[in-house]
Amino acid sequence: MFNFLRITWAIFYKDIRVWLRQPANVAATVIPPLAFLFIQALGAAAVGRSPVALVNLDSGPQGAKIVAAIRQADVFRLQETDAVHAQTLLKDLGVVAIVTIPADFSQRYLERLQTPIDVTVNNLNLDFTNDIRRAVPDAITQYYLAQGSASPIKITVREQDLRVHDIQLFQYTVLPTIALLLMISGIISGGLATALEWERYTVKEFLVSPASSAAIIAGKVLAGFVISFVLGTLVLGLVDIIGWVQPVGIYWLNTLLIVALISLFGSGLGVAIGALLKKVITTIAISINAALYLFFLSGGIGVLAFEPNWLQAIAAFIPLTYGIHAMQMALFYSSADLLGRDILVLGLSALATLLLGTFAVRRGLAG
Amino acid sequence: MKTGFLYEFGVIWTCAKKDIKVALTDRIFTILGLFLPMNVLILMSLFVLAGSYAPTAVVMGENGAYAQLFYNAMSQAHSFRLQQTSPAQAQALINAGKIVAVVTIPPDFDQQIRNDQPVQVDVEINNLNTDFTNDIRRAVPLSITSFYAKAFPNLVTVVPSEHDLYLHDTDYIPYLGVSILVIALMVGALLQSGLGSAREWEGETMKELLLSPASRWSIMLGKMLGAFLVSLGSVAIVLIVLILLLGVAPVHWAAMFGLTLLTLIIFIAAGTILGTLLKRHQPVLALTFGTSIPLFFLSGAFGPISFSTPAVQVLAQIFPVYYAIVVLQYAFHNFALNTYGITGNTLVLGGYAIALVVLAAIVLRRSTIAH
Repeated sequence: MFNFLRITWAIFYKDIRVWLRQPANVAATVIPPLAFLFIQALGAAAVGRSPVALVNLDSGPQGAKIVAAIRQADVFRLQETDAVHAQTLLKDLGVVAIVTIPADFSQRYLERLQTPIDVTVNNLNLDFTNDIRRAVPDAITQYYLAQGSASPIKITVREQDLRVHDIQLFQYTVLPTIALLLMISGIISGGLATALEWERYTVKEFLVSPASSAAIIAGKVLAGFVISFVLGTLVLGLVDIIGWVQPVGIYWLNTLLIVALISLFGSGLGVAIGALLKKVITTIAISINAALYLFFLSGGIGVLAFEPNWLQAIAAFIPLTYGIHAMQMALFYSSADLLGRDILVLGLSALATLLLGTFAVRRGLAG
Repeated sequence: MKTGFLYEFGVIWTCAKKDIKVALTDRIFTILGLFLPMNVLILMSLFVLAGSYAPTAVVMGENGAYAQLFYNAMSQAHSFRLQQTSPAQAQALINAGKIVAVVTIPPDFDQQIRNDQPVQVDVEINNLNTDFTNDIRRAVPLSITSFYAKAFPNLVTVVPSEHDLYLHDTDYIPYLGVSILVIALMVGALLQSGLGSAREWEGETMKELLLSPASRWSIMLGKMLGAFLVSLGSVAIVLIVLILLLGVAPVHWAAMFGLTLLTLIIFIAAGTILGTLLKRHQPVLALTFGTSIPLFFLSGAFGPISFSTPAVQVLAQIFPVYYAIVVLQYAFHNFALNTYGITGNTLVLGGYAIALVVLAAIVLRRSTIAH
C-alpha cells in the first residue's frame, strides 16, 4: 500500500511539474473560457432588448399614453427621435426597428377605428425580428392594461414562476462554461500527460519498473484532477468576487464536490484517450472534440428544457448534464434538489472513465 | 545564394508540398481538423433550431370558439411549441423539465369574453433564465392582442402593422450557418498553418530551413501555401454542407468564393505567426480551439454587432472574424451588416491579410535572430 501511494505521488508530482513548466498550455486552457465569460457579460445588457427608434407623430393624449406604455414596458432599448433620424438609424443598423405612432393615432382611437402602429423591421435575422414581433404587442397590451376597467382587453395573465427568482443569461452561461473549462482542462492535462509518455518513449521506463499500472493511472488521474479542480475553484472564486454567481453557506461545499467530480471524470477520460491514442496531437484534437460535444449536448449554449424530447433524451446520457444541474441548484437556488442523483451519475461516470483508463494503460503497456 | 524567380518558386512549392505530406501523414488529426467545423455547425444548429420555440403545455379548461381562437393565436405567435394536456400531465411535464410553460385557459373563458368580463389566464413558467423566460412573457401578450384583433377587431383597435425591410425572413440556421463558415475557416486555417510552423520549431527542422540558401520569404510563403491548400478541404466540406444540405445558397457566388479565399489567407497568416511565436504545437492547438467559441460569440455571429452593447462593438471590430462575417453574410444573403459597405469591409480584410503576412515575415526573421 505504501509503495502504491509512493508511486502515485511520484507520478503525480512529476506530471504537475511538467504541466507547470508549460505556461503557454496553462494560459491556453484558462484564457478561452474566461474570455467567453467576459464576452457574455459584456453583451448581456443587449440580450432580449433590441435597439428601437420610437417616432411619435401624434400630439394627442393617446399618443402620449402609448409612448409611456412603450417606455414602461422596458422591452426595448429606446431612442425617441424624429422620422428622418429614425430612417438614418435603421439604414445604418443603429436600430432593429422603427415604431411609429401615426399622426392621427388619438383621433382614430377615439373614433374606434383601426389604429395601426407602424413597425418597420430590419428582418435580416429571425431572432431579432421575432423579439420585435413579441415586444410591440407586449407594449400594446400594457397600454390597454393601464386603462384599468375601461380597457377592452379583459384577458389578464397571472404568472407563476417555478423558481424563486430569474437568472440573467450571462449568469446562466457561467456554469456550463465552468464545466467546459473543467472538461477541457481535465481531458487535456490527463490526455497529454499520458500520451507524452508514449511519444517521448518514457513509457519504457514504466514498463521496466516495478510500478503497477493502477498506481501509474492513479498518479496521472490525480494530476489531471488537481489541475482541473484548482482551475475550476479559482474561476468559481473569481465569478463569486465579481458577483456573477455567489454560492451561499453549505452550497459552496455542494458546488466544490460537483467541481471535483467533473474534474475527476474529465481527467479519467483524458488518461483513457491519451493511453488509447498514444499521440499528443491526436489526443488533443479528440479531447477538444469530445469536450465540445459534451458541452453542447449537456445544454452548454441553450436551455435543455427548451429542446425537443429526443435531444433531452441524449442529454440524459451526458454526465455533464448532471454536473451543470447540480451546480445550478446549489448556486442559483441554494437547493440540493436531486443532488444524490447527480452525484451518483457523476461518480459512476468518473469510475467508468477510471476503469477505461486502467484498461487502456494496461493494454498500452502490454503492447 | 541562389536567386531568381524559378528558384524561389521551387522553394515555395517544395515547402508547401512537404507540409501537405506531413499534414496528411496524421490521418486521424487531419480528418478531425476537417470535420471539427462541421461538428460545431451541426451541434449549434440543433440547439438553435430547437431552442427557438418554447415547449408549452396548454390546459384547455374548455373548448369553446374563443378558447380555440386563443389557442390558435398562441400557435401563431412564433414562440411556442404547443401541446394540449390535462392539468396533471402539464404539472408532471414542467416538473420533469420537459416543458417550460403551462398556459391554463379557464373553464369560463368563452362566457367571460362574451360578457365582456375579466378573465384570467394562468401562465406557469420554468423561469430558468431571463432570455428564454422573457420570450414567453412577451409571447403571451402577443397572443392576447392577436386574439382580440381577430375576435373583436372593432374593440381592440391598436395593433402593430409590420413592414419588413427584406422580402423574406432569414431563419436562424441560414444566418448562423454563414457565421459558422467563418469560424470553420478560422479554425481550419489556424490549425494547419499554426501546426505547420510549430512542428518545424519543435522538431528543430527550422534550423535546416534557416541555414539553407532559401529566402525567409519563400520559406514562409511555401508553408502558408501548404496550409492554404490543406485548409481548402475543410472549406469545401463546410460549403457543401451549408449549400447542399442546409440549402443556404449564396446570392453572390463570385464574391462568396473570393471572400472565402481572402478570409482563409488572413487566418493562414495568423496561424503562421502563432506557430512561429509559440513554437510548440500543444498551445497552438489549445488556443486555436479555445479561442473559436469566444470569438464566435463576440463577432456578431447571431446578428449585427450594432445591436449589441458598445463594449462588444468596440472589441469585435479589433478582430478580422467580424469583417469576415459581414462580407460573407453579404455574399450569401445580400445583407449589409455595417455602414462600411462591401468595398470598405473587403479593404479592411485585405489590409489584415497584408499586415499579417508582413508580420509573419517579421516574426520569422526575429525568431531567426533569437534562435
